[in-house]
Amino acid sequence: MPHLVTLLKHTGLYAGFELRRLWHTRSGLMTLAATLVIWGLLFRYAIVPAADLIASRGFTDFISGLFGNNGISQLRSWPAPELAVYWFFSLWLLPLLSLFFTANQLCPDIERGTVRFLTLRSSRSSLVLGRFGGQLVVQGCLILLTLLATLALASWRAGGITPAMLSAALVIWLNLLLVVAPFTAIMALFSALVRSAKLAVSLAIVSLGLGFALLSWFIFYFPDFLFLFSYIPGAQVIQLLPLHGWQTFKLAALPLAQTALLLGLACLLLKRKAL
Amino acid sequence: MNTLIHCDNLNKRFGSKTALANVSFSLQQGDVAALIGPNGAGKTTLFSILCGYLRADTGSVSLLGHKPGSTALCGRLAALPQDAQFDPAFSIGEQLDFYGRLQGLSQKAARLETDRVLALVELGAQRKQKAAALSHGMRKRAAIAQAFIGSPQLVLLDEPTAGLDPAHALQIRQLISQLSGQLGSQVSFMISSHNIFELEQLCNKVLYLQQGQLSSPADHKDSDGAEQYLTLLLEQEADQPLLTMLQQLPGLISVRPGQKHQLLLSYNALQQPQFDLELLQCLAAHGYRYRNLIKGQTLEQKLFSVS
Repeated sequence: MPHLVTLLKHTGLYAGFELRRLWHTRSGLMTLAATLVIWGLLFRYAIVPAADLIASRGFTDFISGLFGNNGISQLRSWPAPELAVYWFFSLWLLPLLSLFFTANQLCPDIERGTVRFLTLRSSRSSLVLGRFGGQLVVQGCLILLTLLATLALASWRAGGITPAMLSAALVIWLNLLLVVAPFTAIMALFSALVRSAKLAVSLAIVSLGLGFALLSWFIFYFPDFLFLFSYIPGAQVIQLLPLHGWQTFKLAALPLAQTALLLGLACLLLKRKAL
Repeated sequence: MNTLIHCDNLNKRFGSKTALANVSFSLQQGDVAALIGPNGAGKTTLFSILCGYLRADTGSVSLLGHKPGSTALCGRLAALPQDAQFDPAFSIGEQLDFYGRLQGLSQKAARLETDRVLALVELGAQRKQKAAALSHGMRKRAAIAQAFIGSPQLVLLDEPTAGLDPAHALQIRQLISQLSGQLGSQVSFMISSHNIFELEQLCNKVLYLQQGQLSSPADHKDSDGAEQYLTLLLEQEADQPLLTMLQQLPGLISVRPGQKHQLLLSYNALQQPQFDLELLQCLAAHGYRYRNLIKGQTLEQKLFSVS
């Protein structure tokens, strides 16, 4: 029990230190700036004209093509079109951004030797969990910022904010954290494996791409195993798109299990790694 | 006495190269041990195993009764790892504060502790500087400072004065000497260095690693009962008349030239207990001036049989 308390305490300290990295360091502020640029473009070209976009022929055809007419009606069920468009784009975009923004969880410290100072004072597991937790908190902050901006836009257009909008924003925020969690855990694993963030991103893209290709090839010959597709990280994104409200949490178990498994592997890998 | 480090038959290989072969030793509380050896002898590998950065292939290690890397050692074992660098994104002070927090200090206590350890290495004014803004020597001193956070029982220092200017190297030596020499001191040190003079001043125990194998200068003792050594440093080169005179001193066993202006004399202490006084009188009577006279051999002579 004392070990668990120490593990949790150290994990919290590492996570807090990562949050400071976002707000107090040049690299953190660059991450913030990059997020603002990406979301600035999305705001300008998708979220501000959200009501028109949802009504547009091209967008509805695209959604219908993917999910049928049910998808369109579900997307229109969100309390504000801005939130629906934000939901749609962030579900696609955030997993990819997460791969890039969280690639430096462990590798720079391992390469620089800073991890040797740290592991004299804490367990390697708390370092992995703390860095992961910190990256999740950082992403939570960035998502919250953009979500608040979307909410402000929606309330400005609708002439006020409604409880339904707030509830929807909370649902979106929690769901997006669940979506990015396994991808952040993948980067925890790969950043413990290689020497640089660039290599970790490359490895993640190649592994995910190759994994998907091999699985497709396998399923082509053995179609009975089609269900395996639903276990790859991010598989729930496609299923989440046509959902809205609290019903989205029925898909929460899969990303949580994936995250736990990947973090377990990352802890094991770092424990066995020569520093 | 408490055993702080106990290594039993440690072996470590990197591919076909043997880094450590059957290394066994113990370190007791209050010891200041020197780890000496040529480049590639396995010193850093041994340090890395003790700190939990590497695993030994076979053999057992226990530090303060725990396995290396155990969380029970957090805050009790401190180290200056070779080539470890601070995070360039944060100031030295912020990082040391954080290390203090990880060691269980409150925010305020961690800040005070950072001030204390930075003052120990004369870096108090650099608290807000990032590592990139510091010179190599300053970074090294900051890394030494992190090893003194809290109250460690065992401090492992891998080449602590390498890259430091003489004044700061002296300061670090004094710091180690002061911490290990304090009455009832609970801090034990293990220091790896190429500077034998430094280790001779600081350490009461020597571990000599060569090609991964450990030997102790206990194998090269100063005396085997009757035979004792004196190391004499003259102001001028020892000439033949002087050597002839010295060979006539009662009790002398041998006299060998050492490094520049140095002579290594061995004598029978049972036969001539006042040999050192006889020697000084002989030098004075014949007008030979000396710089210093050391009882025993230097560590360098013991380890490498320098003559």
